Amino acid sequence: MSLITRRSLLENAAKGGLALGAGGLIAASSFPAKSSAATTGASTSGTPKTGGTLHAGLTGGSSSDTCDPNTIVNNTDYCRAANLYEGLVWLTADAQMYYRLAEEMTPNKDATVWTIRLRQGVTFHNGKDLTADDLIFSINRVVNPKSPGEAANALHGIIASRMKKLDNRTITVPFSAPYSTFPESLANNITVYIVPVGFDPKKPIGTGPFKLQSFTPGQQTILARNANYWNAPLPYLDQVIMTDFADETSQVNALLSGSVDVVNLLSQSTIGSVTGEGKKVVISDGGGWNPFTMRVDQAPFTDVRVRQAFRLAVDREAMLKTVFGGHGTIGNDIFAIWSPDYDHSIPQRQYDPEQAKSLLKAAGHEKLSITLVTGDIAQGVINMAEVYAQQASAAGINAKLSEVTVTDFYGPNYLKWVFAQDYWYYAPYFPQVNQATLPASPFNECHFDNPKYNSLYTQGLATLNVNLRTEIAHEMQMIDYNEGGYIIPFFPAVIDGYLPNVNGIVESKTGSSFNNWDLEHIWKS
Amino acid sequence: MSAAAETPLPAPGPGRTRRSARAWSRRHPVASMVVVRIALGLLTIFAVSIVIFLATQALPGNAAYAVLGHSATPQRLAALEAQLHLNRPLTSQYGSWIGGVLQGNFGTSLANGESVSSLIGPRLENSAVLVIGAGIVGTLLAGILGLIAAARRDKLFDHIASVIALTVTALPEFVVAIALVIVFSVNLFHILPAVSVIPPGTSPLSDLNALILPIATLALVIAPYIFRMVRGAMIEALESDYVEMAELKGIPRWRVLLVHALPNSLPPVIQVVGLNLLYLAGGIVVVEYVFNYPGIGAALVDAVSDRDIPTIQFIVLILAAFYVFVNITTDVIALLASPRRRATR
Repeated sequence: MSLITRRSLLENAAKGGLALGAGGLIAASSFPAKSSAATTGASTSGTPKTGGTLHAGLTGGSSSDTCDPNTIVNNTDYCRAANLYEGLVWLTADAQMYYRLAEEMTPNKDATVWTIRLRQGVTFHNGKDLTADDLIFSINRVVNPKSPGEAANALHGIIASRMKKLDNRTITVPFSAPYSTFPESLANNITVYIVPVGFDPKKPIGTGPFKLQSFTPGQQTILARNANYWNAPLPYLDQVIMTDFADETSQVNALLSGSVDVVNLLSQSTIGSVTGEGKKVVISDGGGWNPFTMRVDQAPFTDVRVRQAFRLAVDREAMLKTVFGGHGTIGNDIFAIWSPDYDHSIPQRQYDPEQAKSLLKAAGHEKLSITLVTGDIAQGVINMAEVYAQQASAAGINAKLSEVTVTDFYGPNYLKWVFAQDYWYYAPYFPQVNQATLPASPFNECHFDNPKYNSLYTQGLATLNVNLRTEIAHEMQMIDYNEGGYIIPFFPAVIDGYLPNVNGIVESKTGSSFNNWDLEHIWKS
Repeated sequence: MSAAAETPLPAPGPGRTRRSARAWSRRHPVASMVVVRIALGLLTIFAVSIVIFLATQALPGNAAYAVLGHSATPQRLAALEAQLHLNRPLTSQYGSWIGGVLQGNFGTSLANGESVSSLIGPRLENSAVLVIGAGIVGTLLAGILGLIAAARRDKLFDHIASVIALTVTALPEFVVAIALVIVFSVNLFHILPAVSVIPPGTSPLSDLNALILPIATLALVIAPYIFRMVRGAMIEALESDYVEMAELKGIPRWRVLLVHALPNSLPPVIQVVGLNLLYLAGGIVVVEYVFNYPGIGAALVDAVSDRDIPTIQFIVLILAAFYVFVNITTDVIALLASPRRRATR
């Protein structure tokens, strides 16, 4: 019986002391909000107080910002969406998955049909009850072939026309192939946010802890407390005023002068000036990553020895120290570091320019010149490229930097660069593979296509037993480690700053600021 | 040619109009200059719109790529390009845009589907407040200091003011801005806001405190040029025969300065003030960034990175119109202020 129920999973866990991981936490029936990471965090002092307005200064917004969950792309979009809407599952600040609007998600024997039961007693901002029809509508809205939402890839293989409503809060969702990792695929910024039937993105309505009061793209968003939120007494704040900042200097000045209460995505060089003025910072070891991407189908990277040489040519500790002041976690060229499926037993790859040199020599590329395409796509990325070029020269690699604008970087040449960089938020292992390292992945920037890897993935999706699936993931990670096209030097820390009277902010392992956008646990004293 | 030369009299109709137009322009030199300049200005603006349209097309990518960014998949790109009509030929895209402009419709933003004029209108007001505010403050400050410096030429005040003016000239806007922030809001005193957040839908004039630092920055940036011009022009005027004559007649010093010397030094000063206003219209973007001030400079930067062509076109047209307007206005004022040049040629 490979069918996993909540009970069998918990029993197994109790019996064997098995690694529970994401599947484990989600099995722990309905998620008690009060025990979440955010409220047990170190910075919480005293009993949470209700009321008050939080002024948040965020970077990354622009006039193309949106409240439509189908088209969110940047940090401010994610923050708005995660507080206006909710998905079936979500991640705690600790990167652990829990049920949000789902009460339960149960697969059939071969994981081709999932039964989803929604939480009871949830209402939308307009007072309407959340029902199965809304869930079906929301899924159809994402997979609509005429204008697919970003989460469409997480629903690949869905047979939307055969979704069935069993009762007022239960539906079945059939897939054309087994999909054992369906819940965790929905547990990140790009998810199926549940909106009411007939949803109009111009009048955003969700079930989230905050309602939209006003929204001016690229300038300001005002969120107001949802007094009927199902997870009372959350949220604590009456109002959140999000102001967009284009520049970190003005963002930090705004915090120092008290114009805003919290700011996100600071660079390590500002830590001193923020704490020096009596303000606080939270430095999160996030699971987001800024890889170097090598196209495995283009010379010189077709030769695996060249790829390994490029990975040996980076001094990870030194780079992390130079670019992020040492804040972050050293990487091993494998993504999804906080995933329960991540294999921490694989030996750490070390800086070894001599071995890199001999690998390059064996591959016939003794003096290798290559263009590294970089841009200001995420914090520290350009500096990483500069440091890489310097470090790799010891291995005989002459990396010439070509800096392009963000718009050019993600323009028509994106996914075509031979040697470039990128940024990713945290996602668990299998969903990340689905996004990035399969021939059918929408963002397969390395053009990775390894038959064994592909079949392991398919096998993983057909495996409901969490432990067996983790073993498969580990086998795949050995391939990532030995043959992949990514150089993942580290997972940089995410640094947010806040005033001392702001409580409830804890480290966010997802790399998304404010406890993984969880504004409902934040309160002001 | 030769046939025309033999004709003794010009054809009655158009010839008479042309002759009377020439006569009119001879009798009203200022008005005729304004008419010609406005016509040329409109032509310039039209040419600018074509150049900008072509320039935006030369940028790699398009609004669909820019909006989707990291999340662009071929299916989503195709859907958005069709939705934004980006797959139409260039001439038809430009044609429908200019057609709309002639009817007062500046199109909708490719970034968020809102009408460009309602999107940029409030930001235009914000920027105008900065430019005009800084123009007035900077000109008054520089004018007064320039007058005093000229009147006390080579005295201590003149030397100090000239050295300070030179120093400030050498500082870029962001240095001035950050220095003001450090002194007045973050480190030394905490009396003014470090950022000028103007909530959407409210006038920038509703919170004057938020305007002080950005206006002070811009005023400090333009003041040195105007100061030097006022001082120079006044010194020249003070050395002239008519001022000597006035002084010999025993006219009070203040009257000599303000009534005799000042009007004659105005034309070059007006030109410099105009030039600085034009500079402000472009230089405002730095100050908008430092103070997170929601103006058109920041909007233009955003629009370019979003490949939002209707918004780029609208802002550039406004800036071009402002250039034309300021140029014509300063020329006219300078002309009116100088009796010699005003006279019939």
